[in-house]
Amino acid sequence: MVMQASAQLGKKNPPVPANTPQQQGQSSLQLSAPANGTAPKIGQSFTDPESGETPNPQILGMEIPLLDPASDTMSYNGGKFDVGNNALVRARFEKYLQQNPDDSTEAKRYRKKMNSIIKLTQKSARKAREVGSETLVKIGHTLYDMNDYDGDAGQSGNLASAIASAIAVQYANRDRKRQNEKLQKEIDSLVDKTNMMTNRNTGRGRQANASVGEKKSGAAADTTVTNTFKIAHNTKKITGLEASGIKNDADSIAATELSKINFQSTIVSMLMQRRFDHALLGSQVYRHIFRDGDTTLKLDNESQAAQLFEGGVGLPPTVNTMATIASNMRREVDQNMEAVTNLLAQNKLADATQHLIEAVAVGEYMQSVATFPVEGRRRIAEFWSLRRKALTTLNARDYAATEEIARKMKELDADFDDSMLTSYCTGRKYQSDLHLRNAAKALKDGDDATFNEEITKAGTIWPKNPNLEKGRQELEKLDKQDPVRDEFRTLVSRKEYRTIYNEQDKFEVVAIDAELKKQYKEAITLIGTIDGMLEQLEVAARQDSVMGPCMAYEMLMQRGMEDARYKDDSRYREAVNRFALGAHDFVKALEDGKACEARREYGSALSNYLRAQCLYPRSALAGEGVTRVSNIILKAKF
Amino acid sequence: MARKRRSSKNKKSQLPLVIGGGAAVLLLAVGAAVVMKPSDSAADAPESRFSVVEYRQDASRLTGNSYRLKARVENIETLGNDRLVAVSLPGNKMERLPLLVHSGVCGRVNLTRGDTFVFDVICRNGQDAEGLDVKGIMVVQKVETE
Repeated sequence: MVMQASAQLGKKNPPVPANTPQQQGQSSLQLSAPANGTAPKIGQSFTDPESGETPNPQILGMEIPLLDPASDTMSYNGGKFDVGNNALVRARFEKYLQQNPDDSTEAKRYRKKMNSIIKLTQKSARKAREVGSETLVKIGHTLYDMNDYDGDAGQSGNLASAIASAIAVQYANRDRKRQNEKLQKEIDSLVDKTNMMTNRNTGRGRQANASVGEKKSGAAADTTVTNTFKIAHNTKKITGLEASGIKNDADSIAATELSKINFQSTIVSMLMQRRFDHALLGSQVYRHIFRDGDTTLKLDNESQAAQLFEGGVGLPPTVNTMATIASNMRREVDQNMEAVTNLLAQNKLADATQHLIEAVAVGEYMQSVATFPVEGRRRIAEFWSLRRKALTTLNARDYAATEEIARKMKELDADFDDSMLTSYCTGRKYQSDLHLRNAAKALKDGDDATFNEEITKAGTIWPKNPNLEKGRQELEKLDKQDPVRDEFRTLVSRKEYRTIYNEQDKFEVVAIDAELKKQYKEAITLIGTIDGMLEQLEVAARQDSVMGPCMAYEMLMQRGMEDARYKDDSRYREAVNRFALGAHDFVKALEDGKACEARREYGSALSNYLRAQCLYPRSALAGEGVTRVSNIILKAKF
Repeated sequence: MARKRRSSKNKKSQLPLVIGGGAAVLLLAVGAAVVMKPSDSAADAPESRFSVVEYRQDASRLTGNSYRLKARVENIETLGNDRLVAVSLPGNKMERLPLLVHSGVCGRVNLTRGDTFVFDVICRNGQDAEGLDVKGIMVVQKVETE
């Protein structure tokens, strides 16, 4: 995994202010004074251990997002998210897309100055370093100048202040060192004097040697007493001076350590804010200011931040590590922006968008990002807008809209891979429709519980399923159908099928009921068949005015005998009467034949049937009568 | 149409008159047969006044009546040796008269469809296998060629 520093996205620890009383009052690395025994140390995450989240590595309370380029996800605060699908990253990226390229004269001058002082620090790194050197002064002045630029956001001023503070501490240390040197000289002088007086009192040394064996006078005895006090005074004074020297040394050490921590905090803060130029510059300057060669970061050894900087080699984190990170970030961002330009030239908007959002998320303030042309931003903004809509509609489970957006994205970028998006949408739509089908089946079966369950599932999966709206309309019809259903049943019982046929739109709703649906279909089919048959018979009857009516009449009678419901239809009956009038002789012959047959006057009956056959030779009714009566006559005995 | 009954029941009391009249008629007929050439048209005979329309309306009224009809055979239905022949009378081809022709009645006459024959028929009632009436059937007694 490549580690990349990003902005302080939702950090849990507030930034530690420089030179706070807590910092000054502590000689340890725990700059944040623990309010109680559980307060986090600098560089330690204080994610609730019971939350189940894996805290990200932290540096001085600032969490570093980790970008996984393999999956385009960024690990942050124990969670992973798509860099293109995070609210904060998205908002910053959209703001960036809507901004104009920062090509103002001030911006160019600012970037020129930044580049010049970075080169300056790199050059001077090979030279002898000195506190308050001309190089540092020039860097400081340049940083203060750069601070006036709005896009700098005061970062240059902060770094300049940190440099100034560190230099001031170095000067103070130098003063204390000089003071200690003076103290040491004074101590040496007092030691010499005290030694002489001591030697004199003990009779050793030059004076003592001169009076060996001699009896001492009273004046000499007084001098000895006086020296004794003086020796004691000198001894006390030497002790005090030595204490002062030790205090100065301790102050210098403490001030240096505190100064280093402050400076490191500034650099890390800039790294976290993705001010890689400033972080790199600060790292370079650090070595100019603190010449003791100790660049170790003052981190809690057990903190995850320390482990993060150590990486896999187990080396302690140093300022050089931060410089390396800053350099790498600058290079990564520049490479991403180069890729964006090339991909746009090939019209590969999806890949270009992905690279740009990564570049912006990591190096928003980098020169290559800030100066990206407006035309490229506009094209990517258009594609980005579609991508955002796709995510929005996907979250809203509006799969039809998502598919439409995917289609538009495909139009903009032929290489855009929409297969996953579209197949997911299609699958969800089928799933929803399947539940709807189950709901329809349950409705037919009268299973309300299953119906409600399936409808809920279908709506949950695809709330905007158009079939849901159709289903709702069907249900509304269902609610209104009871009076209609009653009327329908009445009409069926009265065999008024033609009324149902004439108002079939009204009675269509009863088809929700399986039994009524069957009756409804039968009524519609029956009347439709009758009407169709009548139309054909009308045509045939007009074509042959003699036999046409006979044929029509006979067919109607046959259908009526086959299906008794025909005779219940008014139009059928009216047609029968009308055709019977046109085929009067034929009809009369048939009816007389039947009547005679009923009276067992088979001779007359047969004669009538034969006449009907003469009038309409293809008459089946007449033919049947002839056959039937002939058999009776032929089998009878006379 | 008045029924022409040939039953002799009502004429028993007038038997002498009838015999006398009959003899006179017979003489006249013989004389006429000798003097005049006999007519070939059956339509001129009294039987030709038979109406199929009336027959269709109520054949029972004609039960027992005999007719001599010149008719064209239109259709023949056969069951065993008996035949049911549908004939059309001259002047009304849209009517059909069914005639029951028992076997042996035709003699040497071969009834063929489309040919005209002279039929001596009598209107009879019969019975079916269950003993029920089968009324008003014209039973052919004799067939002659035209």
